[in-house]
Amino acid sequence: MELDELKSQLKEKLATDHTGRSDADIAFLLRAKTNSVIGKLKKSLRKEIFLGVLVLLPLGYIGIASEYRSLRIYFSVTAVLCAAFLGLLIYLIKRINRLSVDILPVSRNLTEIVRIIEEFIRRYFQFTMALVPVCLIFAFFLGYHEPKHIDGLDHFVQLQLDARWKLWLVVIYLIGFTVLVYYFTKWYLRKLYGNYLAELKECMKELTIE
Amino acid sequence: MGLEKEFISLLNQHQRIVNKVCNLYMDRHADREDLFQEIILQAWKAFPSFRGDAKFSTWLYRVALNTAITFFRKEKRKPAVFITETFPEMPAENEDSLEEKVKAMYGAISMLSKIDKALVMLYLEDYSYNEIGEMMGITANNVAVKMNRIRLKLKETTAQQLAIND
Repeated sequence: MELDELKSQLKEKLATDHTGRSDADIAFLLRAKTNSVIGKLKKSLRKEIFLGVLVLLPLGYIGIASEYRSLRIYFSVTAVLCAAFLGLLIYLIKRINRLSVDILPVSRNLTEIVRIIEEFIRRYFQFTMALVPVCLIFAFFLGYHEPKHIDGLDHFVQLQLDARWKLWLVVIYLIGFTVLVYYFTKWYLRKLYGNYLAELKECMKELTIE
Repeated sequence: MGLEKEFISLLNQHQRIVNKVCNLYMDRHADREDLFQEIILQAWKAFPSFRGDAKFSTWLYRVALNTAITFFRKEKRKPAVFITETFPEMPAENEDSLEEKVKAMYGAISMLSKIDKALVMLYLEDYSYNEIGEMMGITANNVAVKMNRIRLKLKETTAQQLAIND
């Protein structure tokens, strides 16, 4: 049985089984929420931009106004990293907006979506990992060299422990925290977009193979 | 408001296209409704860029297929083997046999990959290989190769299904 022999019947079959929508139904749908992954990514980018701006303001303020030199440097560096990440998020939103306006051929559309998601995953991961040395090593270093007294930090320095133990404690903490952040971020991003990316790449591969 | 009215009126004239794509890609009624909504939303977002240099139906096919192919359901469902819902009236002669064949072929199509479904859909709509290639972003030659492979696959699956039914 050939596809061509049943063409007209198949066309007819495909066109049946649907509810005819009125103008009002369609108008209602125009205000509905999107369910697409790329739509959800856009929504999450918007939230992250909003939260990023909210966080950036106090970070910047402390970076300028703190009485401690170490805190000023620490918060300024974190604020610069956050600002760079915000710039990237805005760029990604613009790319998504362009994608929803331009109706590209299927293969280019797939390539664009994969690129956007991969870029987001890569940068998100880089940003998270960049925060690790800033949060830990940099913070320890600055705290150690802070000319003024910081209560919490001084409390740790004054702990009745051998200097070697203190060093081991810090090293284990640094390694443990880094490994945890590394694997957690990888797992989280794969859980969010892994299956979807794999499915899109499978479609791309299928299109390119002759 | 004028743009919205124009869009709704055009879409109403062509909503069969969206329904066809939803029927082809989703086997459950609720999923079809979700996909229908998503296609309408994507079309509405892109409508300001529709300049009328292509036919609205062709443009809508592009939007609908792009949306259907990139639409993702978290929970994987088994592909529909046969859809036994409402069936159109068939010619009187050999009615049962023809209906069975169409059903078997339709079932075979529903088991194809997302990309192959799109190719079959455009082929059924009588688009040329060049036009299909343009919409899919591949060469006409590649379309021809893929269509030959799909035809063979469908023929085999349909024959197997009909043999099981007999």
